[in-house]
Amino acid sequence: MSLERPDTVDDGAVERTPDELEALLGDLVVDRDDHLNAPGFVIRPDTVQETLSVLKEQAGYDHLSVVSAQEYENRYESIYHLKKYDDPTQEVSVVVPADKDDPVSESAEPVFRTADWHEREAYDLIGIEYDDHPDLRRILLPETWQGHPLSMDYDKDRPQIATLPEHANPLQDHHKDEESDTMFLNIGPHHPATHGVLHLKTVLDGEQVVDVEPDIGYLHRSEEQMAQNGTYRHQIMPYPDRWDYISAGLLNEWAYARAAEDLADIEVPEYAQVIRTMGAEMCRIAAHMLALATFALDINGDFTATFMYAINDRERVQNLLEDLTGQRLMFNYFRLGGVVWDLPEPRDEFFSKTRDFLDQLPESIEEYHNLITSNEIFQMRTIDTGVLPPEVAKNYGATGPVARGSGVDYDLRRDDPYGYYDELDWDVITEDGCDNFSRLLVRMREVEESAKIIEQCVDLLEDWPEDERNIQANVPRTLRPDDDTEIYRAVEAAKGELGIYIRADGTDKPARFKIRSPCFSNLQTLPEMANGEYIPDVVAALGSLDIVLGEVDR
Amino acid sequence: MGTAPAQLFPEYLVDTFGIDSVLGDVVASLIGAALVANIILAFSGVAGPWAKRKITAAFTDRIAVDRIGPFGLLIIPAAAVQLLAKELIVPEGVDRPTWDIAPILLPASAMLGFSVIPMGQIGPLNIHLADPEVGLALVFAFASIASVSLVMAGYASNNKYSFLGGLRAVAQNLAYEIPLIVTAMSVVIFAGTLQISGVVGAQTETLATVAGFDIPAWFAFVNPFAFVLFLTANMAEIGRNPFDIPEAPTEIVGGYQTEYSSAYFVLFYLGEFVHIFLGGAILSVVFLGGASGPGPESISFIWFVVKVWGFFLFTQWARAAIPRVRIDQLIEIGWKGMLVLSFANLVLTAVIVGVIA
Amino acid sequence: MSSDQPFITDESQVVTETRDARMTGQGDRFNSRLREAFGSSPFILTKFDKFLNWCRGSSMFMLQFGIACCSIEMMHTYAVKHDLDRFGSGVPRASPRQADVMIVPGTIVSKFAPRMKRVYDQMPEPKFVVGMGSCTISGGPFQEGYNVIKGAEEVIPIDIHVPGCPPRPEALVYGVVKLQERVANGEAAPVTVKPYELEEFSDLERDELVDKLADQIDDDELVMRYNFADSP
Repeated sequence: MSLERPDTVDDGAVERTPDELEALLGDLVVDRDDHLNAPGFVIRPDTVQETLSVLKEQAGYDHLSVVSAQEYENRYESIYHLKKYDDPTQEVSVVVPADKDDPVSESAEPVFRTADWHEREAYDLIGIEYDDHPDLRRILLPETWQGHPLSMDYDKDRPQIATLPEHANPLQDHHKDEESDTMFLNIGPHHPATHGVLHLKTVLDGEQVVDVEPDIGYLHRSEEQMAQNGTYRHQIMPYPDRWDYISAGLLNEWAYARAAEDLADIEVPEYAQVIRTMGAEMCRIAAHMLALATFALDINGDFTATFMYAINDRERVQNLLEDLTGQRLMFNYFRLGGVVWDLPEPRDEFFSKTRDFLDQLPESIEEYHNLITSNEIFQMRTIDTGVLPPEVAKNYGATGPVARGSGVDYDLRRDDPYGYYDELDWDVITEDGCDNFSRLLVRMREVEESAKIIEQCVDLLEDWPEDERNIQANVPRTLRPDDDTEIYRAVEAAKGELGIYIRADGTDKPARFKIRSPCFSNLQTLPEMANGEYIPDVVAALGSLDIVLGEVDR
Repeated sequence: MGTAPAQLFPEYLVDTFGIDSVLGDVVASLIGAALVANIILAFSGVAGPWAKRKITAAFTDRIAVDRIGPFGLLIIPAAAVQLLAKELIVPEGVDRPTWDIAPILLPASAMLGFSVIPMGQIGPLNIHLADPEVGLALVFAFASIASVSLVMAGYASNNKYSFLGGLRAVAQNLAYEIPLIVTAMSVVIFAGTLQISGVVGAQTETLATVAGFDIPAWFAFVNPFAFVLFLTANMAEIGRNPFDIPEAPTEIVGGYQTEYSSAYFVLFYLGEFVHIFLGGAILSVVFLGGASGPGPESISFIWFVVKVWGFFLFTQWARAAIPRVRIDQLIEIGWKGMLVLSFANLVLTAVIVGVIA
Repeated sequence: MSSDQPFITDESQVVTETRDARMTGQGDRFNSRLREAFGSSPFILTKFDKFLNWCRGSSMFMLQFGIACCSIEMMHTYAVKHDLDRFGSGVPRASPRQADVMIVPGTIVSKFAPRMKRVYDQMPEPKFVVGMGSCTISGGPFQEGYNVIKGAEEVIPIDIHVPGCPPRPEALVYGVVKLQERVANGEAAPVTVKPYELEEFSDLERDELVDKLADQIDDDELVMRYNFADSP
């Protein structure tokens, strides 16, 4: 709270109507462009910083979820989706149109640190240039790429050249100054600790990290384009599974389902909501188990028992999910308006399997606590390393276990309820340590909460009257949401706030489909956590962020 | 149990075959060395591709190799041949011949250490090559050559990860060699000699008799504190978990051995295992009564094998369960903790021995 | 396509270099210097070769290499339930210098392809590649993506393809065992010329794109040029 001026502290909690906000912004607002989820204020491209700081400091909108950029026939547009960490149902969109021929817009980076990467991405994919941005380079595509792939005149078939510059003499002096010698080290994109294909440009002073810069885009699979090429009803749903591929499939599918259902005004039957909730929490357990497993790999070295045991527990959840959805990893189980099929027959067997799993879960969690969290060496390695203070976390738009490990009490399942969560009895876990250990502890305790949720769902499903088992609402064969409706909706995925922005243009495919990936924002905090620490701490911090490159790069 | 130490192996050969000449000594020594080297290489060969996997698998609920030959044992020749038959890549810019010497030095130095280790008896053969008066000092000297090899490998590889690994190896060995030797010195005070047969001989007496069982005066029982210190320092010395930081696959890829392939990699791999076994052998000589154990002396080789493999099992157990410490923490533990404790142990031992004597 | 001629490809329509290279390439990866020195293969060497192939097939070190979704299933393959190590091929090595087999578990995109090629080049011969999942076959579900390489085979040669999105661990185990079988029998996929190679920038054919980038890229910098229009 130290960053806010004392006289505005209380304003954060106050909910303002859109008109009050417009009055607060005064002349800054040029026009209104309301979205389904929030009021939208159109502003001039040179007043971005002013508008956002008014909203942040005087109205308490302290969370910049995402910057979604797009190109229209006659203009470019960047939208800043703002929320409050205290109450994410209070949302506001700031719409910044930019000139078609010379798309320049002011950067929001001085107000929200998180805008740095989001604007670089917008520049990379759409081609909007941001004035006053500290480092406007391509982020996802190679530096030498030609054209901006999500802009309208992009030619997909043109040849491209990608470079491999890292073949200089490795022992050459890099970044040498008069005081000391530092060494430049590439960690990744192929490195055992990067959890996929992340590249960390690290500058070392001995074993200590002077500067680390994540270089992403090695798994940029054009997910947004793929979604824009698919029809709402069936063709998009398989892709969310592949964003956060650590078995968090159902959580991701829910993000799309929630956005599209709100966009097309579809009501999901209660029975389907319970099934969704149960499946999603199973996915959360699987995802957190892998986070635990890979974190143990980072701290213990390969072939540690913790890794194997955690994978074993994942195997159990995956068996349940396979029974439910028919797939081990890429479930494709949700449909707009419900789920694709009912629980597997015989239902009793499924329930008893699930209960067996839940019964043995406390025992395995106890085992993990014995193996790692109560180990002195482990504590020595993780406590007070990779510290991320809550204010910094908020400034970077960190969400999920990363934010909750820093004591930021923000969980969309409770704060912006969807599905069946608000009917169930469970707690949001936070830890105040702000370090690697807290983040791990949050995940381990969240597994217990998820187990609680699943148990209640199983109870509900078991007693559900047979003639009320409605798994899908009636949804038209082809969905064509109205032209120019826009929506941003988020759910609490395994890694944090996973949001989808959709703009409909009256056809059966979205005109713009923007994914707000929690890992993308979380990864941005790495330099804050790692600078000044040792190499092993960078590896540990990266492990505790639990990034999935599929979601970071999309 | 045995009072007068049995004849050394080369001497036995000389006597048995009556080749009492300079040439005879040389031949006998060579035969002895070949025997010891083969025993150790056999240990490492079994441990590296097979036992290590099987042990780790047992700790992690898996099976590991079981399709290739009985119990997967044929993986040993298969892995050895396939690794040796691979292309040997010499990266551009490596510093030869340092780069080539390093992988030879590591197993060689560890093997040299075994020259003074008494490995027990097989029937009339006492597998012990030499017993110089400064044996204990010699074996530590040989063992610590290994860190030179790691630095050479790390520095010559022209790779930053190797470089970091090499530097870590020096820092770690400096920090742990001193407590290791100082702790061993406390044993020397008890034994009153640096000669290894003397150190082992001092442990043959009976410490106490519990329920009819004679508990031997192994220094591990006489001074358990020193034993724990020595064990810890020994783990660091051989670079195993929680002190495997010169290698640290999830941090610096492979450390000093990142750039090595094929035969050189085999040599490093082998060297690591020989080194573990040397660590186990030193531990058993200094603290676990050498090759002694219940039963007739003529099968004491079995006890040596049991002790050395027991230590190997321990290292693998640690690998499966214990996290790795950070380099700065390791050095802090080494200089601020272990060094102080080992000197305290030394002074205390000296005082106690002085008072009793 | 009519039903009586189900699988006849119109050769004139196939213009990609990948396919041509694949059809003409010959495998010489098992040739040792010794064998080359002898010219032909005398009896003792054929026996020796057989033994060597058995060794290579029986013991394989994997490269610890995770890219995308499939790497999760790959981890499961190494871990408790599926335990790839039973077949003697479950030891992942972090350094490519010490690996025999590279499992490519995921989508290859433009920025990563040069790096993957580099890692492949760093592995010592004989080396083998298992392509895991649809993405390494054709780009899989992301085939349409503007940034996606249409299969790992555009960059490095692949010995075994394991289809699936992602393949189940059982499928990967099957693929690896199949590879071991083939290696033990001395069969290998031919080393083929790939359409996308790492080359120095100055070696590229001059055209509009190269001219445009000339001031951004040094002459001796390694680059990979993608011809997306010509991709299969």
